[in-house]
Amino acid sequence: MSTEMAIYFDSSACTACKGCQCACKCWNSLPSPLGLNANEFTHSYQSPMDLNGNTRLIMRFEENESPKKWGVEWSFGRRSCMHCSNPGCASVCPSGALSVDEATGFVRVEEDKCIGCRYCETACPFDVPRYYGPDSKVNKCTACLDRQENGRAAQINNGTGVTQTQFNVPACVHTCPPGALDFGPRDEMIAKAYERVEFLKNREIDPSPHASVYGDKLFDGAGTHVIMVLKYPVETYGLPVDPKVSPMVDLLGWMKPLTGLAAAATVAGLGLSFLTGIGYKRDTLHYDEKKH
Amino acid sequence: MTGHWNDFKNADVLLTCGSNNVENHPESARWVRAACDKGAISIVVDPRYTRSAAVADVYCPIRPGTDITFWGGLINYIIQNDKWQKEYVLTYTNASYLVHEDYSFDVETGLFSGWDESKQKYVTTSWGYQEEESVAPNTGTGGAFAYVLKPGTPEFTPPHKEVPRKDMTLTDPNCSFNILKEHYSRYDIETVTKVCGMDAETLEQVYSLYASTGAPEKVGAILYALGQTQHHYGSQNTRAMCLVQLLLGNIGVPGGSVNALRGEPNVQGATDMAMLVYDFPGYMKWPTVASHPTLRAWLEHETYADGYYTNKPKFFISALKEWYGEHATVDNDYGYDWLPKIGSTDFTTMSTFEQMDAGVIKGYFCWGMNPANSTANTKFARQALSKLEWLVAVDWVETETACFWRAPDLDPAEIQTECYYLPAALIYEKMGSISNSGRWIQWRYKALDPVDEAKPDYEICDLLWSEITRLYREEGGPCAEAILNVKWDYHRDGKIDPRAVSMALNGYKWKDGADWDSRELLSTFGDLGADGSTACALWIYSGFWANNDDRWEAASQKVGGRALEDPSGLGLYPGWAYAWPLNRRILYNRASADAEGKPWNPERNVVEWTGSEWVTNDVPDFGFKTTAADGTVTWTPPNNKAFMMLWEQNARLVSYSLKDAPLPEHYEPFESPADNALNKRQNSPMIQFADHPSVKRGDRSEYPIAVTTYSVVEMWQTGSQTRGCPALVEARPEQFIEMSVELAEEKGIQNGDTVRVWNNRGDVKLSAFVTRRIKPLMVNGELCHVVGMIHHWGWAGMYSTADTVNDLAPNVGDPNSYIPEFKAFLVNVEKA
Repeated sequence: MSTEMAIYFDSSACTACKGCQCACKCWNSLPSPLGLNANEFTHSYQSPMDLNGNTRLIMRFEENESPKKWGVEWSFGRRSCMHCSNPGCASVCPSGALSVDEATGFVRVEEDKCIGCRYCETACPFDVPRYYGPDSKVNKCTACLDRQENGRAAQINNGTGVTQTQFNVPACVHTCPPGALDFGPRDEMIAKAYERVEFLKNREIDPSPHASVYGDKLFDGAGTHVIMVLKYPVETYGLPVDPKVSPMVDLLGWMKPLTGLAAAATVAGLGLSFLTGIGYKRDTLHYDEKKH
Repeated sequence: MTGHWNDFKNADVLLTCGSNNVENHPESARWVRAACDKGAISIVVDPRYTRSAAVADVYCPIRPGTDITFWGGLINYIIQNDKWQKEYVLTYTNASYLVHEDYSFDVETGLFSGWDESKQKYVTTSWGYQEEESVAPNTGTGGAFAYVLKPGTPEFTPPHKEVPRKDMTLTDPNCSFNILKEHYSRYDIETVTKVCGMDAETLEQVYSLYASTGAPEKVGAILYALGQTQHHYGSQNTRAMCLVQLLLGNIGVPGGSVNALRGEPNVQGATDMAMLVYDFPGYMKWPTVASHPTLRAWLEHETYADGYYTNKPKFFISALKEWYGEHATVDNDYGYDWLPKIGSTDFTTMSTFEQMDAGVIKGYFCWGMNPANSTANTKFARQALSKLEWLVAVDWVETETACFWRAPDLDPAEIQTECYYLPAALIYEKMGSISNSGRWIQWRYKALDPVDEAKPDYEICDLLWSEITRLYREEGGPCAEAILNVKWDYHRDGKIDPRAVSMALNGYKWKDGADWDSRELLSTFGDLGADGSTACALWIYSGFWANNDDRWEAASQKVGGRALEDPSGLGLYPGWAYAWPLNRRILYNRASADAEGKPWNPERNVVEWTGSEWVTNDVPDFGFKTTAADGTVTWTPPNNKAFMMLWEQNARLVSYSLKDAPLPEHYEPFESPADNALNKRQNSPMIQFADHPSVKRGDRSEYPIAVTTYSVVEMWQTGSQTRGCPALVEARPEQFIEMSVELAEEKGIQNGDTVRVWNNRGDVKLSAFVTRRIKPLMVNGELCHVVGMIHHWGWAGMYSTADTVNDLAPNVGDPNSYIPEFKAFLVNVEKA
C-alpha cells in the first residue's frame, strides 16, 4: 500500500546550522573541492552559493529590512528538490532516469539511465537539477529513498523533547538539531505545517503575519512532497510564488515516445531551443548581498 | 551549569547574552525551541544580529565588554520596580546579613574598600559580615566534625563558625541587599543605554520581560558562553548573572539557572578534573606555598565551618590515598609533601608564554591545545615558543603549534627548538567518559582503531610515565619519592584501561593488596573518610561507576545508563547517564520550593515537603533526612539552607569570594572606544598582565573601532579539525570580518573585498562581509563602530588557510580565572 510521504521544513525553527547540507553530502558521498583554498568566498553565510553537480541541498540566507527597531530580518531557507507531485523533470526525461516513486511520491533518480540530455534542467520550475562528470549525469535530491527502502532505522526528535522512532528518514531530517525538519505522511506534514503557521501568526510577541505554508497547493493543487513553513514572505526565500510547469513540458512529454533513446541527438537539439525558450532564470532568484 | 540542557524547555523566558547559542551549541536550539513552542519568550542580547537572534523573539544590541552595565541596569530595574522574589531572596540568600562596617565603594576612584595600592590587590575583610557570635566546631557524637577524632585522621583544628548578624526587616543600610540596591542605583536606563549603545525602548522591553520571572510561579533561564567570560572582568560578569537570577528566584528551579554553555565536548570534564592551574580535582584548591605549606594548613584553610564542605578533608585525604596508595599514611600526612606546591611563579596560560619568553620554561608539552593560534596575542606566543629547547605537541592533526616554525612571521633557520609530534587517537577511537555542561557524565565506546601510530591520550601518558619511572628507578633524580611513590596501577591485562581509572575516580574502600577485581566500589561520597579508609580520585563523580557485580562493563554502570523514561516530565531522565553529584539533575533544588517546602509552581515540582516527609523527583540537594545507625530515618523539616556548598548555606549577594570586587562594577575593556561613565577608573584595578611589554596597548585615537571575536557553526576553535573536513570548508570557505554598511561606506569597502585589520600587536588580511546585522552604536553620545571577526584559521592544514586573527587580541586577563580578553578590544580597518 502506498502512502504519500513528504519532507517537512520549518523555516521559523531552522537555525541554519547547515547540518542537513553536510549530512546530505556525507550520506550520498558527494565530494567537496579538495584543493588548498579552492572554495571561493561567497560574500554570504550561504556557501556554496547554489546547487551544483556535487551539492543537492544548501541552506539559503537572506537579509531583509524590517520594520522592527533594529531593522533587520534574516531568513533561512532550504534550497533543494521540491519533489513535485506532477514533476516536469520526470515528464520530459526521455530515458527513465527520473520517475515518480509510486510508494511515496518522491522523484526517484536512477543515474545509470541518465543520458545527459539536460531536459530536466529546463523543465524544473525550481531550477534544481545539476549535472556532474563527463557524461553530464543528473544530480539532485533523492529524498534518500535508499535509506527509506533499506530499513535505515532512525530516531527523530520533533523538538518537543520527545524522541521517538519513526520512519526511515532522509539524512537531512535525521541530523536536524532544532527539529526544523521532519518526515512523514504528506497529509500529516501539511496539517503540522498549518498548525505551525497559526502558531506563528498568533504569537503575542514577535508574531509573523506573513507566515505561510508552501508546497501543498502549488501547481493547481497537485503540490509538492516538500512542505515548508515560511516565516517571512515567499519571495524572501528565493522561491517562486506561483511556479508553473511550462506547456512545453507536455509537448516534450508527447514527443518522448517518438524520440526515445535512439534519437538522443534530436532530443538534445530540441532541448537546446527549449532551454533558450522557457528556461528558468536563475539569476533573478540568485541572492547577492552586495546589492543590498 | 546548575541545571542542564533539557531543562531549557521548562523556562518562561530565556535570555541569551554572551552566547550565540543556536549557532555554537546547536543542540541548545532544540530545547529553547521546545520552551518557545509552549509560549516562552526568548531574548538575545549580542553586538551582532546572530543566527540566535534570528530565531529569537526580541533582539537587543550591546557594545562588546559592557555586560556588567547591562546586568547592573537589570538589577536596578528589578529592585526599583519591585519585581524581586521576596520570600526567595530573604530565605535563601544573604540579603539580610549585615556586611562589615568598613565596606564602601568610591565612584571617584572606582575602588572598593580594602585596596592595597602597594600590593595592587584587595584585602577582602571589609567585604565579609558583621559577627554575631563565634561558635566552636562540634566534634561530639553526631556533630559535623565528629570524624576528626577518628584514628587515622590527620591532626587539624576545624574552624569556628562566625555567625553573621542579620536584619530580616532589611532596615539596616549595611544589609547585603541594601548595599546591592545602593550600588546599582547608578545603573539607570539612561546610563545603561549611554554605555551599552542600545535604545531605551528595546532595553526596557528586555528588562520588563525578564523581570517578569520574579513572580514566584515564573522562571527565567540565562544562557551564556565565552561572550561573558573572555573579559578581564569575566568572573564578575558571571557573578552579575547570578545576582539577577537570585533576585528573581531563578536558581535551583527547573527552567532557571545560570547556564554556562560549554563548547568543547569535554570542557566540563576538564574542569571537573582540574585542568586549571589553581584547582585540585573536584573543585578543591591546589596547594600553594603561601597558604598551604603543610597538610594541616591545607585542611584548616580549606575546610568550611558549616555546610557540606565541613566534609572537605574526607574528599582531599581520599584523593591523596588514590594518588599515593599504600605509601600514603597518616604518619607521612598521606603523601601531602610530595604534591608540588604552587609558588610565586604564575603558570596560567598567558604567563606561561611570558615565562617561555624569559627563558624560565625551557620545554613544553602541548596536549590537545593549539596556543600558537588560539591564545591572545598569538604573535607573542609564537615568539615565546621559538625560544624553547624542546616542544612536544600531542594532537589529532598537525596543528599550528605543532608546526609553529612554519608561521609566516617566523624564520625556521633561526629557531633551534627541537619539536616532536605525537599523533593522538580521535574520540571515536578510544573508550572513556565525557561530561557535558549539564554535568551529565556519559560513556563513549570505541568505534574503530586509531589510524597508523596514533594512540589514545591515556596510552601516551602511560608510556611516558613508565619511561620516567624506569629512568628514576635506574638513575635517580630530583624529588624521586614524589615520583616513585605514585600509585599507577590502571592496567588490565598489561594495558592501561580507562575502566580502572573510572573505578579510581568513583572511589572505593582501601584494602592493602587489593586490586581492581576486588576493591569494593562506593556508591556515594558520603561514605568517604578522612582517615585513609577510602580512596577516591574525584569525589564529585562518586556513584558513577559503583556496580561491584559487573565492574568492567560500562553498560552495567550508571554512567552507561540509557533509560529513556522521564517520570516527572521535566526532562530529568534520571536513568540516562549520571549527573554529578549523586545523579542530581538540578543543583540547589531546595530553592525550587518555598520556605514551607511547597514548590513555587506545582508544574515544576522537584522536591516537596508534605508536612511529614520530602517527596522528590530529583535527588535532593540539601539535608533532607538523617539515618540513624539502626536504619531509622528522621525527616528534616524545611529550613533555609538551600545552598549547602557555602558555609552560610545561603547564596551570596555581596560576596568576598572573588579577588576583584564584592559586587560586579562596570569597567571598560583594556582597549575601549569610550571612557568609563560609571566610575572614574577605566579598567579593573585587578587586571592581569596589563603592564607586560608584549601587550602594546593601543589607543582609540589610532584604533577607533571596537571589535569582538567569535565562532561560526561550521568551524571549531582554531579549525585544526574542521578545516580538515572538506564539506565543512565548503560550507564556510573563508575567514571574514563582519562590518556595518555605514563603516564600509566610510572606508570605501565593498562586500567581499579583502581588508587589512591591524593594531599594535598584529596585522591580518581577511574578507569583508558587509551586513546590516551589525550597526554602529551611540556610546557616550558619540558614534562607535563595531566589527566582528571569526577566528578559526591559521597556516596549517590541507584545504583552507589564512591569517591568525588572535594575533590582534590583547594578552590581558581576569585575576580569578586568568582568561584573556578576546571579546572586546580595538583595531583599525582599511581596504587592502
